[in-house]
Amino acid sequence: MKHEVLCRPAASIVRFWMETGEQITCEAGSMIAMSQGLTVETTTRTRGGGGVFSGLRRMLAGESFFLNHFTAQQSGQSLLLGPALLGDVLHHPLIAGGLIVQAGSWLASTRDVQLDTSWQGFAKGLLSGESLFWIKCTGIGDLYLSSYGAIYSVDVDGEYVVDTGHIVAFDETLQFELSKASSTWLQSFLGGEGIVCRFRGKGTVYCQSHQFSSLGYMLGPMLRPRRG
Amino acid sequence: MDGISFDIKNRPDFATLEVMLQPGQKILVEPSAMACMSPSIQMKSGVAGGALRSIGRMLAGESFIVNTFSAQDQPGELVLVSGHLGDILHHRLDGIGLRLQRGAFLANGPGVEVSSSWQGAKGFFSGEGLVLLKAQGQGDLFFNSYGAILEIDVKGDYYVDTSYVVAFEETLQYRISTLPGLRGGGFKRLFFSGEGLVCQFTGHGKLWVQTRSATPYLSQIHSYRPVQRNNN
Repeated sequence: MKHEVLCRPAASIVRFWMETGEQITCEAGSMIAMSQGLTVETTTRTRGGGGVFSGLRRMLAGESFFLNHFTAQQSGQSLLLGPALLGDVLHHPLIAGGLIVQAGSWLASTRDVQLDTSWQGFAKGLLSGESLFWIKCTGIGDLYLSSYGAIYSVDVDGEYVVDTGHIVAFDETLQFELSKASSTWLQSFLGGEGIVCRFRGKGTVYCQSHQFSSLGYMLGPMLRPRRG
Repeated sequence: MDGISFDIKNRPDFATLEVMLQPGQKILVEPSAMACMSPSIQMKSGVAGGALRSIGRMLAGESFIVNTFSAQDQPGELVLVSGHLGDILHHRLDGIGLRLQRGAFLANGPGVEVSSSWQGAKGFFSGEGLVLLKAQGQGDLFFNSYGAILEIDVKGDYYVDTSYVVAFEETLQYRISTLPGLRGGGFKRLFFSGEGLVCQFTGHGKLWVQTRSATPYLSQIHSYRPVQRNNN
């Protein structure tokens, strides 16, 4: 399967050229356009169990985990996928070892990539106020990540600190712990940094240049209130 | 007739259209798109093609008024932008008309007629309005989008999410449909797929899609709006 990432960096999308039988799994709602010889199937990944209604609840909470599988029934099919917000798309070949991806940044993957949405490496109920959940991607194949803003990678060798809202993905080989940004909790919150992630070891962290919640908090108060 | 000489800069995120007008040349532009211009350029606001046609354009999500910019005795430059971030594309019309999505019109040169085209129930179900813009004739047309614009040559069938269609040639037919595989699965499957209704194009012709839509942005910002409490 051939792919190309187009219109980088702010309006990036990925275009696939697919042969008979090839399959792409993507986040529900990310298809922009496709040719006629593809079929779609929708499945759901439950996180901590639950049926359709807990799925619906997660969807309303912005944590939809409905997957669409696009399969080529003929050769020479094309498929365009794009994330919802302005930002970049990155291709990550998964060879050995897993990648932990922030759920909102996972755009698509090929068939042989396994997606584990029950990964709970970060303690439940992250205090940072962002409802992040994570997908552990393993296997051999291609992964496509998206970001709000630009994506940059950091090769960690030793220790590195990233704001939790800026993490796109990181190598499973890295150890990590959530901690405060400053030496005291008061300082951390006054400084607006809250909880950060401290990575240790050797591996890659993908970061995004911006976080949508910052824009949300900036624009929100200027908008007309909604009824509670 | 000579085409307008132009240059589109800063594509695809911050596209700006620079137009060079020779004495006597003019261009019709949607209101408030002018960013700057030479002193030799004059602007006139009016209803292009009469009141009826203007009402049609208004139903298609455009303004009632169209501004005409023309160079008088000396050549001059005019810079046009759309109201949001995104791309601008030029298309030379040559007999084959174009249908444009709501809000996609930016400017047109002489010889192009922009009116509206009733879409009926198709427009209703696509959620994109009952009326599309129609551009016909021979000349230059400029349209804009939220996100980048990609051109696709359709031969046979092609599916596009309704909110990503920017424009298409009238040689293409379309109908509102669902994706193959989601049909017959009932409402539940359609709903959870997140793909909902799509435009199914058939025939031969050019199609332009945008790589982003403003709708998801709006729905995400919505959750940051303050909540109004009723205290009575």
